[in-house]
Amino acid sequence: MIVSHWNSSEAWSGLSVVISCVLALVGLLGVGGVSSGVVSLLSAPRAKNKTGFNLVLSIISLLPAILLAVVAVVLVEALIHAFQIPVAQIPAPTAVIQKFLESRQVLWRDTQTTLLEAGVGYLIGASLGVIVAILVSRYQFLNKGLMPYATIFSSIPIVALAPVIVKAAGLEWGSKAAVVAITIFFPVLVNTARGLLEVNPLTIDLMRSYAADPRRVFMDLRIPNALPYIFNALKISTTLALIGAIVAEFFGSTGSGLGFRILVETGQASFDSVWAAINIASFLGIIFYNLAALLERRVTGWHVSFRE
Amino acid sequence: MMRSSHFVPMFIVGVVLIALYFPIMLLANYPAAARALQRGAVLECKTALECSFDMRSPIIPAPAQLLRGVRSLYFPPTSETSVPYNAFFTGLETLSGLALASIVGLGLAVLLVASKAFERALLPWLVASQTVPIIAIAPMLAVLLGQYGVEGWIPKAIIAAYIAFFPIAIGVSKGLRSPDPIQVDLMKTYNAGSLQTFAKLRFPSSIPYLFTAFKVSVTAALIGAIISESATISGAGLGKMLSENSRASDAVGLWLVMIGSAVLGILLVSIVGWLERVVTPWQRNR
Repeated sequence: MIVSHWNSSEAWSGLSVVISCVLALVGLLGVGGVSSGVVSLLSAPRAKNKTGFNLVLSIISLLPAILLAVVAVVLVEALIHAFQIPVAQIPAPTAVIQKFLESRQVLWRDTQTTLLEAGVGYLIGASLGVIVAILVSRYQFLNKGLMPYATIFSSIPIVALAPVIVKAAGLEWGSKAAVVAITIFFPVLVNTARGLLEVNPLTIDLMRSYAADPRRVFMDLRIPNALPYIFNALKISTTLALIGAIVAEFFGSTGSGLGFRILVETGQASFDSVWAAINIASFLGIIFYNLAALLERRVTGWHVSFRE
Repeated sequence: MMRSSHFVPMFIVGVVLIALYFPIMLLANYPAAARALQRGAVLECKTALECSFDMRSPIIPAPAQLLRGVRSLYFPPTSETSVPYNAFFTGLETLSGLALASIVGLGLAVLLVASKAFERALLPWLVASQTVPIIAIAPMLAVLLGQYGVEGWIPKAIIAAYIAFFPIAIGVSKGLRSPDPIQVDLMKTYNAGSLQTFAKLRFPSSIPYLFTAFKVSVTAALIGAIISESATISGAGLGKMLSENSRASDAVGLWLVMIGSAVLGILLVSIVGWLERVVTPWQRNR
């Protein structure tokens, strides 16, 4: 069915592409194997609490992955040139970099727009989620009446929500921030409520035997107990925020934003721009996630999961 | 699952939410309706309040409008322009994407656990890929697959699989490592080979992790399927309906498609939950 669209010479070139890709994959595995062997040799004498040395070690342990990526990019470049695949199908990595440098001002504006949408939506959604979770933990009625809905709502695809909200709230960045806030609200609510409620009964008894009033129990027991859950939700939400912003931009925007750029350039088959935008979005995602992880480490560094 | 003590509070909260819908709707529609009246548009309604319930392009549609829309967009369910018909296709694409993703994800997870070299080289990228808005790639992938002559439901399933397989690979590799060292030692004392240890111990203990990953990735796969449908606008599907209604700015239609997608999402998640209960009965007491 797929092959029937090609004539025989195209089918042959298609086959050779497949074969080269398989060979390339095998080669990549070899690179991964060799480099990880080198790394395990290097990192064999474990350092004893020398932080500088540990940093070097952690960089070295990332070496196979970095090497793999470099080799993969070079291979893709070589394959694309070897088979003369046009930019309208798969652009070479160098073409993407060139495009990135050419249109960096437009891409920078897109990045700012998407960041604004995702950031504002993230802050609003996360704080609303935490506030409602506190109410839920305070009132048993809300816990029973609201949480089942929250669980159901978290399985709704945001794509379907986005056009409705963009239609109702306009094409400005605010509508996209609203989509992001709604997307994030439910995971934060569900996780925070679980953290606030799933407290060891023994510790509650202990607090009671100390004659602690409910406020103290809340501040000294429930909140610290919930913090790891909250940060887990906050970490997941960073990705969700960017997804929400990009998807919402697919359904209407005022002419800037990474999602808008991706959609428009896809329509014109200029995939080098699309790849540039995708790479920026990925980069943003990694930075955003690691910021949340850094905050987690700062605030809940005492937690078991961080101990060696 | 749902205890009977939840019913009354759930009912009351539901009623309150529905009751809140009216004032929010009025608040959203009233200014637009008043403006339309001032402009002297020929309308069947007299006051702005009345008009808020019956606008041609409402900001938030009135319940009566939604009900009327249900009649035209949900019935008959076999018609090509109805929501259930398109939702069926989207659901099918999502599930086949999920099946494909679980094959790829399982294979990758086995490789990750079996080969230290593979893990060292690949795991950082897999972890990083979890933090990346992978959905951004969907429109391009849909167009690209179309250029290679892959059309119909297949490209959508491939994109759904592409989005869903990362969580599955990570989850299953975690699951394959989850057996207690004591259990692994026990298998060793039975003189079981690594293949037997895999089949009898590692694989069964990874299944709960597989389902946890499924629950995350089924929604992701659904989003991927809908986005790729709306990017190609060929064939059937909720995504196609969404982009058509979005372009025609048919608010009632958009709402109804949204409700349809929500129901589909809930349905798919509950199918995964049901499968989990069937496949892993030993987990039921959790």
